[in-house]
Amino acid sequence: MSHTKDNLPKEEQVHITSYKDHFSTLIALLLLTVITVVISVFGANLRSLSVFTALLIATVKVIVVAYYFMHLKYDKKIYTWLVLIVAILFVSFAVLTSIEYLNR
Amino acid sequence: MTSTALNLNYLQAKKGIFSWIFSVDHKRIGLLYLYSLITFFLVGATLGVLMRLELLNPGKDLFEAQTYNQIFTMHGVIMIFLFIIPSIPAVFGNFFLPIMLGTDDVSFPRLNLLSWWIYIIGAIMALSTLLFGDGPADTGWTFYAPYSVKTGTNVTMSVLAAFVLGFSSILTGLNFIVTIHRLKTPGMTFLKMPLFAWALYATSWIQLLATPIIGITLLMIVAERVFGVGLFDPSIGGDPILYQHLFWIYSHPAVYIMALPAFGIISELLPTFSNRTIFGYKAIAFSSLAIAFVGYFVWGHHMFTSGMSGPARIIYSIMTFLVAIPTAIKVFNWVATLYKGSIDVQPPLLYALGFIFQFMIGGLSGLVLGALATDIHLHDTYFVVGHFHYVMFGGTGFAFFGALHYWYPKIWGRMYNKLVANIAFFILFIGFNMLYFPMMIAGLMGMPRRYYDYLPEFHLPNMISTFGSWVLAIGLLLMLGNLIAGFRRKREKIARNPWGTGITLEWQTLSPPPVANFDRMPVLPKDGPYDYDHKPEIKE
Amino acid sequence: MEHTSAFSLPNSGHNRDAEASKMGMWLFLFTELLLFGGLFIVYMVYRSLNPESFLLASFELDVAMGTFNTVVLLVSSMTIAMSITAIQTGNAKKSIFLLYTTLGLAIVFLIVKYFEWSAKIHHGLFPGFEVYDNLPPGESLFFFLYFFMTGLHALHIIIGGIIISVVIYRTKKGLVNKEKYTLTENAGLYWHLVDLIWIYLFPLFYLIH
Repeated sequence: MSHTKDNLPKEEQVHITSYKDHFSTLIALLLLTVITVVISVFGANLRSLSVFTALLIATVKVIVVAYYFMHLKYDKKIYTWLVLIVAILFVSFAVLTSIEYLNR
Repeated sequence: MTSTALNLNYLQAKKGIFSWIFSVDHKRIGLLYLYSLITFFLVGATLGVLMRLELLNPGKDLFEAQTYNQIFTMHGVIMIFLFIIPSIPAVFGNFFLPIMLGTDDVSFPRLNLLSWWIYIIGAIMALSTLLFGDGPADTGWTFYAPYSVKTGTNVTMSVLAAFVLGFSSILTGLNFIVTIHRLKTPGMTFLKMPLFAWALYATSWIQLLATPIIGITLLMIVAERVFGVGLFDPSIGGDPILYQHLFWIYSHPAVYIMALPAFGIISELLPTFSNRTIFGYKAIAFSSLAIAFVGYFVWGHHMFTSGMSGPARIIYSIMTFLVAIPTAIKVFNWVATLYKGSIDVQPPLLYALGFIFQFMIGGLSGLVLGALATDIHLHDTYFVVGHFHYVMFGGTGFAFFGALHYWYPKIWGRMYNKLVANIAFFILFIGFNMLYFPMMIAGLMGMPRRYYDYLPEFHLPNMISTFGSWVLAIGLLLMLGNLIAGFRRKREKIARNPWGTGITLEWQTLSPPPVANFDRMPVLPKDGPYDYDHKPEIKE
Repeated sequence: MEHTSAFSLPNSGHNRDAEASKMGMWLFLFTELLLFGGLFIVYMVYRSLNPESFLLASFELDVAMGTFNTVVLLVSSMTIAMSITAIQTGNAKKSIFLLYTTLGLAIVFLIVKYFEWSAKIHHGLFPGFEVYDNLPPGESLFFFLYFFMTGLHALHIIIGGIIISVVIYRTKKGLVNKEKYTLTENAGLYWHLVDLIWIYLFPLFYLIH
């Protein structure tokens, strides 16, 4: 058969991330980790702030990992959309549940 | 133009039990599911008839209260996890989704087989509680904490079975989503997909994104039983309402896992037997997604009387009423499809009409339960039992039977006796309504659910209900017997399009289909899947 | 007709389809995320009900070990991402080396975890021990959730390690190569997910000060 055995259209260009880019991503992630630890260990008097900032920094880290390491930046846009939908769904579960607990 | 090897259909291609249970052919896997599902359905139905027998008269008739508790739990677990959640996607989705998309299999055929095996393992685990351990669970299929972490019965095994079955459900959903994205035949876009495929697409997303939550929740029940920590037990710091939240975060969307595929079936049956295009294709397609999406945010309506906070109850009640909108859109479109169609009354159409009638009763009684004030009165009464069975059995169950009658000639290349099928439908229909309508009345009168005894004033509705269960059982046996007898009827050649008016791609191939599904390239109708004005001509 | 001898459909489920495999992997990752998501909701509710106990109990955890493990996982995420770059550019040897590095880091993570866990169990902070059973409810919930969530996470590390070993084996055999590297990509996606979950577990358990 002359049919192509690949369903992947040929025109799709594969993006190859360089080693240097991967290394820069790691440095960014390590910096963010240092910031979280420093804030939580040495900024104990900012307690009310630290849960929020810790989660915020964690989310930034997650976005960096997903965007660069997990290749979302170069993949089809549908993957980014799906990830967003799943994230929104989970956040809504958490928010709806906490609404109930906060009003008890 | 085709060689004989290609005309070999999927039933003849290979022989022997191993060619079935290790087959990666989506059609054979669909049938594996069908045969296992029907078996478990009959077990569950028998348990249901036994429950009705106990409730024929007030007081103790047949068994002890504890036995009754175990029977209704087993009935629920079997019917929910082993029958109705997999039902239409696993059987007809597996069999027809690839054919309707014009491809030869799902994206991951081996994963598909794995999911059937996981299903069987889960089923064996669920049924093993009958024989091993301290007896089957007596908690109800909801496994509510703290009772489920304290009772001496074998809850651990039942819960693990539900966990394992969840994996099977997830894998099927995953497979369908990728198949729909990747394997549509050239020229078929999302908006030219049959509505059954749309329904399966929406369902698959729920299977994929809701099931993990119950998986982890059930694991927590097991952990609590094994380690005795206070995750959900209020006496050692846990919060039982949190269990209910997590349980319903899955189990409410799961209701749409059960219902959406049925909507898809009805959207296939009506155009075929009205011989005209579906009314409001896009409305039906997108309302499936809307139901799937909004359905994630209404779980709290199962917990109105659990001691939830007031504002939360109002939010959940409003969201519940929102789900009614896309559902009603579907019903209106179905009825509009029938309007001015040239209607051909065949057994599958009867099931579709039965579905619409019963699903309306089920759906509207759901609104009664979704309203805060009425729910306080009706919560945990037989009204809920009636509502639930109207939606699940009167809805999904009837759609399942309708699909079975609709695709029977395509699947097996035989035909059943249509007259007997019609008679069986009417017996089923009468039996069904006799069984479940009195339950709603008993519920309004205040009869609580899940008791093996009741006050004398509820005797009449219970008696009618039990008589109804006998009629229903006769109808079921007649229907199944007629379908089985169909295999033994003299072999006649079944045309590609036995109903004459089928328009989706499965009617362009042989009955039964060849191993590779098509013996020639399927032709799409010009404007969308239900374009009866430009129906491709089907040569034998 | 062009199909005289055999007919085959243009889109077949039996074709190799790298995009489908990747999509399947992403969908699977969503289920994993929500699996942990359920636990995060439990954590959120119990922490909001017992804020003081959670704070007290979290002091028992070793921030240094947690930070060390975070760094280990982040570095391993980079090495597996680099191994994809290597195989894409046709350097199988380098790819295998980087995969071995990832595997080694996974083992380091598990060893550190082992010492952390055994220290807690040594202090009797596990269900069934007297110390644990006498803890106030909030603190016992914290420790149980700690064991449950990090335990489930560790299980994922082990599964990830097995997957990486399979990739190494198949790369050595030449089954994974410059043209066909979907397996490496999917192993990478899975490994990054394990990392993502740890990124949240770390501040939620170790850093509530």
